[in-house]
Amino acid sequence: MSNEAAKLLVGASTDFLRNFSPFDRMEAEALAFLAERAVLGFFPRGADILTPEMGVPAHFHIVQRGKIQARQTGSTTVTEYASLTLGPGECFPIGAISARRPSTNAYVAVEDSFCFQITADDFLHLMQISPVFHLFCTQYIASLLTQSRQQLQTTFAQRAAEQQTMTTALGKLIQKEPVFVTPDTPTRQALERMSELHLGCMVVVDAQKRPVGVLTQSDLLPRVILAGFDLARPVGELMTANPHQLPLSASAYDAALEMATHGVRHLLVVDVEGELKGVVSERDLFSLQRISLRQIRAGIDNAADIEALQRASRDIRQLALNLIAQGIGAEQLTQFISALNDALTRRIIVLAREQHDLLGIDFGWFAFGSEGRHEQTLSTDQDNGIIFRVAEGQSVDGARKRLLAFAQTVNEGLAACGFPLCKGNIMASNPELCLTFEEWKSRFGNWIREPDPQALLNASIFFDFRILFGNERFENQLRTWLNKTVKGNSTFLRMMAVNALKVMPPLGRIRDFVLEDDGTIDLKKSGARLFVDVARILALRTGVDSSSTVQRLRQASVKIGTSSEEVDAITDGFNFIQLLRLRSQHLETEHDTPDDNRINPESLNELDRRILKEAFRQARKLQLRLKLDYQL
Amino acid sequence: MNLLARLKAARGGAQKLGAQAEQDLVAWQALPRAQQSRSHFETRYVVLNTEASGLDLERDRLLAVAALGVDGGLIRPADAYYARLEPAPAETLVGLLGVAGKNPIVVFNASFNRNMLERALQEQLGLTTDFLWIDLYFLLPSLFPEKLERPSRLGDWMAAFGIETFQRHHALGDAWAVAQLLLAAQSRALSLAVATPRALAEHEQAYRHKLKI
Repeated sequence: MSNEAAKLLVGASTDFLRNFSPFDRMEAEALAFLAERAVLGFFPRGADILTPEMGVPAHFHIVQRGKIQARQTGSTTVTEYASLTLGPGECFPIGAISARRPSTNAYVAVEDSFCFQITADDFLHLMQISPVFHLFCTQYIASLLTQSRQQLQTTFAQRAAEQQTMTTALGKLIQKEPVFVTPDTPTRQALERMSELHLGCMVVVDAQKRPVGVLTQSDLLPRVILAGFDLARPVGELMTANPHQLPLSASAYDAALEMATHGVRHLLVVDVEGELKGVVSERDLFSLQRISLRQIRAGIDNAADIEALQRASRDIRQLALNLIAQGIGAEQLTQFISALNDALTRRIIVLAREQHDLLGIDFGWFAFGSEGRHEQTLSTDQDNGIIFRVAEGQSVDGARKRLLAFAQTVNEGLAACGFPLCKGNIMASNPELCLTFEEWKSRFGNWIREPDPQALLNASIFFDFRILFGNERFENQLRTWLNKTVKGNSTFLRMMAVNALKVMPPLGRIRDFVLEDDGTIDLKKSGARLFVDVARILALRTGVDSSSTVQRLRQASVKIGTSSEEVDAITDGFNFIQLLRLRSQHLETEHDTPDDNRINPESLNELDRRILKEAFRQARKLQLRLKLDYQL
Repeated sequence: MNLLARLKAARGGAQKLGAQAEQDLVAWQALPRAQQSRSHFETRYVVLNTEASGLDLERDRLLAVAALGVDGGLIRPADAYYARLEPAPAETLVGLLGVAGKNPIVVFNASFNRNMLERALQEQLGLTTDFLWIDLYFLLPSLFPEKLERPSRLGDWMAAFGIETFQRHHALGDAWAVAQLLLAAQSRALSLAVATPRALAEHEQAYRHKLKI
């Protein structure tokens, strides 16, 4: 700048900006660019600075003085994020201006405010010339993901809180009518009733039904047997007077505390008049504690029959709910679900094996599709198969017959535990899917050589295999063979790519999303699958052994030279869609409507909608890459 | 006699200008007066400010001048001017006129700034100007009586709005503060249907009339 005055003013703006992040770290040249172009404007209290109706934002603002409130607009506003106040040094909009789309927030001055502004073009240029600013904006957009997750937690924490047993009022916990005697009751009679009703504790009440004492099983040895107490004498002489009592409104937590403090196992629950309403035992409280991962695992591993496994299966869903409430991400959550479902399936297999003679058969239980990728959601139907090898001189068909009978039992057991039978009959009990190693190779080989539509569809299900039970070496051997075979067949990969590009992300040109006829988006078909399909192709091409989508993308990207930031953005997008799927499934199963993967974007809050859009953009990016690679 | 010659004649004994400054001055002379009945949003106001050796109009001398454009409700750092009078006072003033154009002029405390400037323009360039002057000293209390009821010092107004500047009592430093006050004043005036430079000036006159100043 040649002009001295401009230098002075730019210097002043620079000094101001340097007080705030990210400008304090910004490269000198970039900061000068910003300060030279920043013009100062004023917005009186109540003025709209930027609203969605204004269209694509023309300016990027940095608050110089005053307060600006960012308010979510639209009918699905969620209170936690309804507003956010921006003060000096804070800037807006970032997401909208980066993506050149209308802001989803309305920015209103809540005080007389001064804002520096630069044009959208200068903003984009600044992103280009300043790695610091670029990172700041990227992290801001990424932080939206975190916010969304936190918001998800709020929804679920509330639900979990309702089930959060330790805060439950004792009044709600008491299930049985209290059993009691009066102090003048002969001790023998009182003890007979305890024995008859399997009571750990007998309450002694007065004429107004107010507790005056208790007699517990642990009192019997010292006070009755060893003391040689005369059972004809009234129980009032034997009981522990002044028993511990709590009101109906006290919580389970209060009761646990009281028990721990006084070393008692029973507490009497009374109403406001002091009248006995029930007894709470230590055991009652224990059974209310949250189900833990370890407990479920133990429950599964020790289950003796399908009924016990059904309980475990319900516990898995409950745990998933708790884990979402605790804010666990989609990737870990699906891994947990996958691990527990694996344990459940293994137990079912072990139980079934006891009923069937599989002696001499070397086999492996295959999981295909989402189960094979460790990406099971809560409504996954069965996709399984068997790979086997027989000893020399043994009949393949004989072995197959025995395996099929065994598989039938397993499939039914799985169905009983909440994994619906596969409509497409992709199940181990299907003779077509209970094959020897050589048969699988020849089956896979045929699809690769002649990739007709059915073969490609099959590949998309069966190539995501893993061994869940049995001889795991089958998996490595088959994977190694498959990667080698596919590598030598570029036509097949090309056809897979064509197939993968048939479904586009449901992003609209005019509206945010392209919806199905019923106004929804299928998060599986037009969401998760887009990532899964591309990841499979990349994995086959680069010889990645993993069957999980995120792992495939991460490992393949190292080989094809995609930056880790780019991959993170892609996997974040995939995980977000998975999280939305889990959430909607969860909410729906709680309402007893059939599980599916459809969501109505209108039902999402503004923030989730924005992120979903970003996730679809990532899918589009991934597809574009594939298009370029195969020149499609 | 051409325009240039007329100018020279009018300026009499005024200091000789460089060729570029001469040309700039002619260009300024030829400018039409800016519209005074357009909205603030379509108007470029120019905040002028001075630095003098003291506050006595008779004895003290002008030391430096500053101009800062407020165009369409925005302050652009590039649209600014600051220069000391020495060593070339006439050229400094021509530079100031170049930035000011013939737009409405905004000052804080016209009785000093305006007189200082008009006198310097007369002395150095032999010029008599007829800017539309708007004085925030009077305009601010009339627009923001809830903040300060009576005409007050610049420092008080800055405090009332929480406005800061990089250097007080510096012609440009204070102009920067005045310009920010002007942004607030435009916005408030607009809400009172005082929507143009002309209306602002009239609003100021009415206020002064009320105060009998």
